[in-house]
Amino acid sequence: MIEPIRIVDLTKDFNGFRAVDSLNLVVKRKSFTGFLGPNGAGKTTSIKILTNLLTPTSGAAYLNGIDVTQNPKAALNNVGTVVETPEFYPYLTPNETLAYMGELHGMAQGDIKRRTGEVLETVKMTEWADKRIGKFSKGMKQRIAIAQAILHEPSVVILDEPTSGLDPRGMFEVREILGNLKNEDYTVLMSSHLLNEVQQVCTDVALISRGRLLRSGTVDELTASTNLRRLEIRSIQETTETLLGRISQLGGVSDLESFGPRDFGISLTGGDEAQANLLAELQNLGLKVISFKESGVALENLYMSLINESR
Amino acid sequence: MIEITETIARSSKKTVAVAPSDVVQIGVVAKYEVLKYLRSARLLGMIAVVALVILLITALPLLLGEPYPEDADAFTSTYAGYVTLLIIVGATLFAGDAIVSEFQNRTGYLLFPKPVKRWALLAGKFLASTGAMFLVLLVYYATVLALGLVITGGFSVLGVESLILAMLYSIAAMSVGYLISSIMKGTTGAQVLTFALFLFIFNIVTRLLTMSDVKPWFAVTFAGEVIVDITQEPYPVDRGATGEGPLAVSSFVPDVGVSVAVMVAYVLVSLMLTYFFFKRREMVA
Repeated sequence: MIEPIRIVDLTKDFNGFRAVDSLNLVVKRKSFTGFLGPNGAGKTTSIKILTNLLTPTSGAAYLNGIDVTQNPKAALNNVGTVVETPEFYPYLTPNETLAYMGELHGMAQGDIKRRTGEVLETVKMTEWADKRIGKFSKGMKQRIAIAQAILHEPSVVILDEPTSGLDPRGMFEVREILGNLKNEDYTVLMSSHLLNEVQQVCTDVALISRGRLLRSGTVDELTASTNLRRLEIRSIQETTETLLGRISQLGGVSDLESFGPRDFGISLTGGDEAQANLLAELQNLGLKVISFKESGVALENLYMSLINESR
Repeated sequence: MIEITETIARSSKKTVAVAPSDVVQIGVVAKYEVLKYLRSARLLGMIAVVALVILLITALPLLLGEPYPEDADAFTSTYAGYVTLLIIVGATLFAGDAIVSEFQNRTGYLLFPKPVKRWALLAGKFLASTGAMFLVLLVYYATVLALGLVITGGFSVLGVESLILAMLYSIAAMSVGYLISSIMKGTTGAQVLTFALFLFIFNIVTRLLTMSDVKPWFAVTFAGEVIVDITQEPYPVDRGATGEGPLAVSSFVPDVGVSVAVMVAYVLVSLMLTYFFFKRREMVA
């Protein structure tokens, strides 16, 4: 069976800087895969190669089994994309822009009309269908961008940080649209550095750093595999530097950070047992703990752990 | 729940559209480029400039009490003298930012991931630019020839030949504009360079070569002078240097056949280079 997205030994250099370094990745059919990594990890560069916006230095990228560098027209035929925050032709309306994109995809006029109505409804832009895009806000443009990506009902949708630069309301609305995409028939690859967004929306995750794949799998598998957790602790008495020094020496503890006279956070390697043992050891040190809770999402812990290891 | 039900129903009748042939896509790109020209008022602006130029040239002799030429060709010749200027403005507006704007304005993020070959995008855009420019020239010449018919009572066949040469020159000028647009990083710079190249730089080079007694047959702006020269009967000829010392300057007239060949060469070379640069250009920013 042909994978919808397959990246093989992909490398991209920019004037001596290696943005993508022998990247290998396979995206499963009908999965919603989060492409995670810190800024500069190579997410956007990889996606730009996948969408024929950049040429790789070496390696290959396949969409539905077709090499996008060798045959971009065939490879992109059944693909929808939102890369960076695309701009639109300011003098055209959403209806005209979608008709333009639909005609380039070879859609029949009747299908364009039907799908334009459907996708504008999906992204809640129906009432703006005949207004020129030039005056639209960034959030409205992003919604039109998603609409044009799914207009021709592609099997693969590639999204590059679709909520980037949006205000909280815009982010919420776009996430809602992404949630709806998950219920449809698409294979989605979405880059992001927002971990809660990925954990909320995605079924699968691929983590990259410095242009290399660190880990990939389903969200459930990866979060279950992590043995690093972040804990926030509050005590009755004020903590001294001596006490904090002793706590940082405890087994499995790292990255101790003081938030105030009675609050501090630590990273703990180990499972539930290690967490229970830590609480007992803190009390043995004379610390009167009144709050001992896990902070952050599991994916975040895994992400931080892998990013730190890769450095 | 209703939304999900609709979604499933929608997915079940999904049909995969197949990208049409390159030729069909060229037509699609050209259609929407023309729509953009219309909406941005570039085309209407050019038509307004044409109307203004014709009005000025026609009204001035009346206001100054000067008679119009009695011959239709001579009448057309006066107007043909301004065609190259119109073409330069047209090339700046229709070609100067055609490629670079997709990169600078980030609309390339929308267009380039579509299943369209870069050459089809280039061809569609160029077709639209050429169509817009031809429309401007046709309006100009149609008005001038009609005025000539009314005022002199004759029809200028040489005016039609001038129109054909003007069309060829406009394609050459736009090809160079596209080449500049495919190399430059900013739209303003590309448009200024296109305008300056044809209005000043080529002309300065041509003038310097003429002063050195070298016929600048290879310069596209010199070749473009046939647009006016063709309306003169008989066709003018080169004149050797008259006078003495630094004032002894030759007067060269472009040969029609050579000029056509030069313009065609500019079109072919410029468009090939444009495609080369456009195909290799990446959406980095």
